[in-house]
Amino acid sequence: MIERFIHQVKVELPPGIETVADARARLAAKFPRAALRRMTHLGLLLGSALEDIPLGPEDAVVYASTFAETRSLEDFLLSFPAASPLLFQSSIHPGGIQQVLIGRQQPIARLWPLAGRTRLVEQALLTALLEPAPRVVLAGGEETGTWMLEHNLASARSFAFAMILTRAPAGALGRVAFARGTSTDDPCPTLENFTQALTGRHALQWSGAGGTWTLDWLP
Amino acid sequence: MHAPADQLPVGLAACDCLTPFGDASATAAALLAGRSALALTPVLGRDGGDLVPLALFGPMDETLPPRWLPVLHRLAAGIPPAAWGSARCPVIVTSSNFGVGSLYAFTRDQDVRHLAHGAPFASVELLRREFDWGGHIQVFSHACVTAHLGLAHAARLLHAGLADRVLVFSFDFVSPFVAGGFHSLKILNGGLPAPYAARPTGSIGLGDGAAFAVLTRDPASFQVAAHALHNEMFHFTGNRTDGAGFADCAAAIAATVGGRRVWLKGHGTGTLEGGRMEAEVLARQFPGAPLTGWKGGLGHTLGSCGLVELAVALAALRTPGGKIPGAVGSLAPVFTDTVALAAFAATDFDGAVLTSNAFGGAHAAMLLTHD
Repeated sequence: MIERFIHQVKVELPPGIETVADARARLAAKFPRAALRRMTHLGLLLGSALEDIPLGPEDAVVYASTFAETRSLEDFLLSFPAASPLLFQSSIHPGGIQQVLIGRQQPIARLWPLAGRTRLVEQALLTALLEPAPRVVLAGGEETGTWMLEHNLASARSFAFAMILTRAPAGALGRVAFARGTSTDDPCPTLENFTQALTGRHALQWSGAGGTWTLDWLP
Repeated sequence: MHAPADQLPVGLAACDCLTPFGDASATAAALLAGRSALALTPVLGRDGGDLVPLALFGPMDETLPPRWLPVLHRLAAGIPPAAWGSARCPVIVTSSNFGVGSLYAFTRDQDVRHLAHGAPFASVELLRREFDWGGHIQVFSHACVTAHLGLAHAARLLHAGLADRVLVFSFDFVSPFVAGGFHSLKILNGGLPAPYAARPTGSIGLGDGAAFAVLTRDPASFQVAAHALHNEMFHFTGNRTDGAGFADCAAAIAATVGGRRVWLKGHGTGTLEGGRMEAEVLARQFPGAPLTGWKGGLGHTLGSCGLVELAVALAALRTPGGKIPGAVGSLAPVFTDTVALAAFAATDFDGAVLTSNAFGGAHAAMLLTHD
């Protein structure tokens, strides 16, 4: 069995439909004014989720997002034929997490940006469990879109999460574990389901990647 | 202080690529002959715009089905059979573009059929269906170091005993989306790339490219022995001006080289600041090791460049006499005297360090070893 312990977790799951303007107003105190204007909705939510999570140059970050910087992508496409350099930069995965870390001028050892969908949560967890760094930050999220959402190419909801995973059980809030042994695949929780489980401290269990996955919370 | 590199050697059971020159052998031969696939092309395809250097399989305007699909079928025909996409034989797809050209085509034509493969997950789902892969397909996207991540993660899966074989599959095709984006940053301009050349204006070229590697724990003639990664997080499109990010990654991979005599395949896009820092850091870290780079011939194949150029390196090493192509398209004066403007003999070496860099100050390096 491979396991890591959750030592800090924070979720940004705004109720209803939050616009980027709403997010800028709600989260204004957390960011320098100049950065606040430039950051995307997903970047703001990730920045808030990572706010109290310290990072060092030997840490690793695993970042999961299916749709990533949807609004920048939409707006960049609409900027043609005079393509916008700023929107080009911010439309590129993993721009959401990079906005935060560049804002903090925080070098890290390794960044693993995942962009799948069906088994994204499982693959992000597996990537985190295989990381040799003593401390791994697992973060993820989505931002909603406009015309891309109408074509099911964007998330219907904006959200973000971040957690610290280590090998140390002392003081942990919860645990992520993978036990080998089954060849069947259950449906994998979606990124939004996973975020809701973190919010409510709900346990999760499913089979996939040749084993059984467990997210549980410690008393 | 750099984080240690992963030292998880894995065998390359198979590896190939497709570029506008052809497969890896044809590509290596073309580079050895000093040829470039780059041609000045309107930056927005049929929508026109400035002429910029692109190396393409054909017109870059997106088609239905997407223009990359037939090319990927040709590439996939060479993948050894296995239960790809099963838990024991997972697939890792790496790209920075996926089908994003289809999103541009949709905004231009309003044909919703383009949207079926515009998003990363949708283009990967198309590949899964076309190649009859199972559902265990992991997708990485980290701009121009993406393929390195796929290879590094594959080694971790194999060494953890979580997979028997891993297929890393990478593709990046130029579209007006990405050509327009780099053009807006002024680094894709009317000039041809001259990697590591000290000249007044830097310029890059972009290229179509796709590649795969099958990695195993079994012994093989060629091994990817180590991976180093580092992320500066200094600026979206720039590096720390003191070269510390390059130095960090170079030091980490150098610590794995041991007594091997290595040559270097750098990132070498043709930008000035990045090229200078890269060449100087590598010359300090690997004194006397020749530095080459092939984006002057292939263009920058973006998220796939790490795997495309690995396949070219293998093909070059396998040719009789083992000649390694020099920095095609470059010319003196160059940033360091270690830059190899001409081809050189591989027989003097028993390893190679292959590096890539990306937006966000991301750095990646791998150590390729051979018998």
